[in-house]
Amino acid sequence: MTSIDVHDLTKEYGGRRAVDGLTFRVRPGRVTGFLGPNGAGKSTTMRLVLGLDRPTSGTATIGGRVYAGLGEPLRTVGALLDARAAHGSRTARDHLRALAASNRIPDRRVDIVLEETGLASVARRRVRTYSLGMRQRLGIAAALLGDPDVVLLDEPANGLDPEGIVWIRTLLRRLAAQGRTVLVSSHLMGETAAFADHLVILGRGRLLADTPVQDFIHARVRPHVRIRTTDPAALDDLLARHGLDASRDADGARTVRHARVDDLGRIMAEAGVPVLELAAREATLEEAYLDLTAAEAEFTAQPQEA
Amino acid sequence: MPLAPVLHAEWIKIRTLPSLLGGLAGILLATTAFSAVAAAAGADPDPLYAVFSGVSLGQIAAIAFGTTAVAAEFRGGALRLTLSAVPDRRRWFAAKATAIALPALAVGLLTGLVTLLVGKAVLGADGPTWTAGLRGAVGCGLQLTLMALFAAGLAAVLRSGVATLSVLIPFVLIVSFVVGDLSGGVADYLPDRAGQVALHSTWDGALGPWSGLAVTALWAAAALLAGAWTLHRRDA
Repeated sequence: MTSIDVHDLTKEYGGRRAVDGLTFRVRPGRVTGFLGPNGAGKSTTMRLVLGLDRPTSGTATIGGRVYAGLGEPLRTVGALLDARAAHGSRTARDHLRALAASNRIPDRRVDIVLEETGLASVARRRVRTYSLGMRQRLGIAAALLGDPDVVLLDEPANGLDPEGIVWIRTLLRRLAAQGRTVLVSSHLMGETAAFADHLVILGRGRLLADTPVQDFIHARVRPHVRIRTTDPAALDDLLARHGLDASRDADGARTVRHARVDDLGRIMAEAGVPVLELAAREATLEEAYLDLTAAEAEFTAQPQEA
Repeated sequence: MPLAPVLHAEWIKIRTLPSLLGGLAGILLATTAFSAVAAAAGADPDPLYAVFSGVSLGQIAAIAFGTTAVAAEFRGGALRLTLSAVPDRRRWFAAKATAIALPALAVGLLTGLVTLLVGKAVLGADGPTWTAGLRGAVGCGLQLTLMALFAAGLAAVLRSGVATLSVLIPFVLIVSFVVGDLSGGVADYLPDRAGQVALHSTWDGALGPWSGLAVTALWAAAALLAGAWTLHRRDA
């Protein structure tokens, strides 16, 4: 099986460290979400893995080999870096055929990936007539061309319509289920939570977390319970007596941290406080992420680079 | 990684881009049309150059072809996709240069032949001999190919089609039509001038037809090496 191994990787551009001493491993059989604000070093790391940029120090290998050492690399690694890579005056099919020819991939694969990405009916149209979503699909088609064990996608959901987003989610899950190594960068939390099993989180070029999604959320954010009642004073009194920390929502409801619906329901019933609403709120990846970044104080104060 | 698949890929890229096919057609049309007009006007006393004078304009189409073929890689991250498929940059650039040179040479030789036939038809008895004419036709093909390669190398150094064309086109126009007529010596060694000695039946400078083409070939080789070096050194 083919992992991506990044070891002590550093890349400087004119004194600025875009990637700073990164070490992590992306394993096969699961989707790894690559998170961080714009400018955190996600794209740079991907370019370093693909041998496009030269690291200042450290190594990035795929299955133990540097990218340049892979014989016909598209057969091992497929990548989407930039949806604008296809020339506007070429047809999608010609774009993929040229790419396939360079790695001796049969033209049959071109038709398969065009079918798979839903572009078969527009394959003979010039790329300049494509929407951003279609270009994104073409970029993904190029990444899948060599039926690779390792797939790297940089912001693949950019410009996709809601159906496209569901499609890419399904595709990523399937690629991982087939045992491939899948690394997908994003700055959108909700989207990442929907497809990723594992997270690698960067902030200002450094590794902030390398952890399963569920562990990350549970370690960072306690579940909340939302309560609405006709008698807020009695509820506040009750919560205070049980030593529970509650905050007031805009609509007068209370949000109780570190509590379970089962316990609150019982004590409210015993105290005779009327219940209009009692709901557990699952912690989201977004909350966990904000909690992490708040901990990295320097990082919240910095304006994000485009 | 063998060269043949990479060359195949680069050839597909050239023949599937309408602007590049247009550039190749432009080489043929510009050279033959301007040559025919100049021959009919009897502009040049040299019987061979009277046939081939349009090459100085055909060169611009050749420059546009070579520039566009390379510059297309520097748009929208295309080069990153290309190099992710072919990480060996020297091999890739060799394939790119070959994929530019072969069609340019084929079209250039055809252009030379058509220009010669048209010129001989127009000039009749005043035209060049067949021996000189065929040398001119081969020289025309080689010169146009070398100018395309020179431009391709420069485009890889400058990483931009606009920058390359705005350097080369004024250069070719000014050197050929202004500086070239005024000064001998150094100007004869400039890439667009040196190779054009092959299009003359007589020459008085240090360069002859083949040594002139060799000088242009050196320019093209230098530009390609500089391009390969830039590609090798810089992040994609």
